[in-house]
Amino acid sequence: MTTARSLHLPLEGVRVLDLGQFIAIPFCTLWLAWLGAEVIVVESRRRMTSRTAPPFAEGREKEPNASGYFNHLYSSKKSVTVDMTTAEGRDIVRRIAGVCDVMVDNFSTGVLEKLGLGYEAIAAISPSIIMLSNGAFGRVGPMANSRGLHSAVNLFSGVADVTGYAGGHPRLLGGVLPDPLSGTYSGFAIMAAIYHRQKTGQGQFIDVAMHEAMLTLIPEAVIDLTMNDVEPQRVGNRDRVHAPHGIYRCQEDDTWLAVSVKDENSWVAFCKAAGHAEWLNDPRFATLDARRMNISALDMAIEQWSLGQNAHAAADLLQRAGVPAGPVLRLDEMLDNEQLNARGGVVSIDHPVVGPRRQMALPWRMDSLGVEYRRAPLLGEHTREVLTELVGVSESDYARLEAGGVLS
Amino acid sequence: MSGNAQPSIHGPLAGVTVVELGDGTAGPYTAKLFGDLGADVIKVEGPEGDVSRRRGPFPDGRADPEASGLFMYLNSNKLGAMLDLDSKPGLADMHELLGRADIFITNIPGKRLEALGLDAKTLRARYPKLIVTTISPFGADGPWADKLGDELVTFAMGGMAYSTPGMPDAADDLIKEPPLHPACFVAETIAGLVAAEGAMAALLGRGRTGEGCHVELSQQAAMASLQIRDVMTASYVGSRYNRLLNPVTIGRMPNFYLPCKDGYVTVAGPMEIHWDRLVETMGNPAWAKSELYSTEIARTANWVALRLKLIEWTMTLTGDELHAFAEKSQLPIFPFYTIRRLTEIEHSRVRQTFVEVDIGGKQARMPAAPFKMRGTPWSLRYPAPRLGEHTAAVLKDGLPA
Repeated sequence: MTTARSLHLPLEGVRVLDLGQFIAIPFCTLWLAWLGAEVIVVESRRRMTSRTAPPFAEGREKEPNASGYFNHLYSSKKSVTVDMTTAEGRDIVRRIAGVCDVMVDNFSTGVLEKLGLGYEAIAAISPSIIMLSNGAFGRVGPMANSRGLHSAVNLFSGVADVTGYAGGHPRLLGGVLPDPLSGTYSGFAIMAAIYHRQKTGQGQFIDVAMHEAMLTLIPEAVIDLTMNDVEPQRVGNRDRVHAPHGIYRCQEDDTWLAVSVKDENSWVAFCKAAGHAEWLNDPRFATLDARRMNISALDMAIEQWSLGQNAHAAADLLQRAGVPAGPVLRLDEMLDNEQLNARGGVVSIDHPVVGPRRQMALPWRMDSLGVEYRRAPLLGEHTREVLTELVGVSESDYARLEAGGVLS
Repeated sequence: MSGNAQPSIHGPLAGVTVVELGDGTAGPYTAKLFGDLGADVIKVEGPEGDVSRRRGPFPDGRADPEASGLFMYLNSNKLGAMLDLDSKPGLADMHELLGRADIFITNIPGKRLEALGLDAKTLRARYPKLIVTTISPFGADGPWADKLGDELVTFAMGGMAYSTPGMPDAADDLIKEPPLHPACFVAETIAGLVAAEGAMAALLGRGRTGEGCHVELSQQAAMASLQIRDVMTASYVGSRYNRLLNPVTIGRMPNFYLPCKDGYVTVAGPMEIHWDRLVETMGNPAWAKSELYSTEIARTANWVALRLKLIEWTMTLTGDELHAFAEKSQLPIFPFYTIRRLTEIEHSRVRQTFVEVDIGGKQARMPAAPFKMRGTPWSLRYPAPRLGEHTAAVLKDGLPA
């Protein structure tokens, strides 16, 4: 675990109020927390963010401190339990917002305003607050109130229009990508807004639409359609320009090899390494144009070869010959992947309830700045600390709020 | 093309100077994100130009390095300098630019950077306040450091290929439907975005330390780090599940991707209340009340049969009809939109989701800002540079104020 305490953390001194749910905003603030921001999560037994969601540690189903969903996404954050359905609870949340630099949410559009916690209300007490609000369809526009989880965003964003097998129907990109992708854009936008505020003192509201985050993946298709009236196509793993470009079946069940040939040198290297030098003289494959014309025959010929190969060994063979290639990794294999591990890309975080668990770390390294991986908080672990030390709730008021159920 | 240029407005990163030595999507996209927020970005290209100048899409399919759609998108809001880094004067000019820069961004191969003396170690020593941002397929060290990787290979080794088609979609057949990569640059765009977040963090960190930083990103790791939902499952359940439909990958029930009368819809009702609303919307069919489907556990156990029951219903309705039901009862049901439809709807117009551009004399639309900052709004300040368009200007006159 690389906890370089001697180095400054990039976001030291930045305090974030996190009203996130699902993955998008919790993922955004996960990286902010690792980078040193103090992230205060407001939840309650009525609204337990993702603590009720699987996967759970074995034998600990439904325990609020045993959810992998929560413990992965809330590493390095603080948990404060406040019941926002009560007026006093909402007042506490406003007071926390008043001492934060940044506030984030991904409720359905309008929920925050109904709670009296919208941007106008918070900016009235804290004008320089940076508020980022992440919605499936954004916070502005006729569809702002539409509901949708990641799969709806995927279907709406246009990405599904270019995802699919040749000639087949639209398919969904994996990894619930609209969530972490829009969360990553959110983190970048927040840091840019912090920079701006440091220069000018000005805070602001940031509207993130998950579908617009996805749209950044498909500029070529958008431009070809709007400029040339060319309809998007689903072409499996093939590329518009290069060939071969594919994912080929290997010897063991459901194992696959990705091969990407970008120029004639690597085509020659590929044919020789695969033991099929005769393809170089085959008129169907001799030139890029010919290969594109005969792409089905080419893909079939390559698969005849790859079916006799182990995916990892074949990737090594092609790499040694100078051809970009790699095995398709399953998600469980990624945790053990030697390259990711060699670079500190997988971090093990210990936790009093579920023990040490591995997850993906920040994917970049910094030589002059630190990052900090701490365990996820237990439910309500920081309620007293935040209320009494940070927002100045007196001990007697704290006792009264607690007895009244506001802090549960 | 300068006719498109609008008066400079101050973005949140006004005053930040970025030098980009990028190629393709990843590095150029990092720099574009800075340019979009008001930083002064100087893109340095060699005499042959960025590879995406040769990729298109081109107006009417006619190849033209000054009218490649992908290049125009990735390099708007930048100035362009053409430098021959293999010549002494070219390299000297590069150092002149670096001497004035806050951030350097590159995704060209590490070996080439070393040969030019532009590797991170050398630059960090020579320019102690510079933030050096490097993107490589697998990172600068480790057993795969020198291997060849690109969009497809890092996508596959970052776990995304195996998880596509993904939840609540899945492969119908493990042999006929391989792990899938979409026809776009997913891994490179994500690497570009993540590198921008890293460089931005380092810029804020520099405000505290006064020191530069090497932000060193692996494209494979960037892809992998976004796989949080599937990795948490592997970490907690440890299961090795295949790519076919199954309750482990699909999550809480019902959560389906289904055909309808005129296309496809997603039906995501992960919570009890969603299920109740869904049953009501279907007109309270008797089967839905049976104990086979009345609890989440039962729905998960009987998900195969449940899927078929739902298809019977969705096939009687169009995507828009299903969506109308959903809007009325706050149900997460949503239909597939083509890109064409997305470009035509009022929501896109109101949000300024797309921006009009001129590409080689033809009008086109590109994605605009992926987030809207009210205090510092995005604009297309200037279109992508022609090769070497601003070489003299940025070297002789210094950077624009």
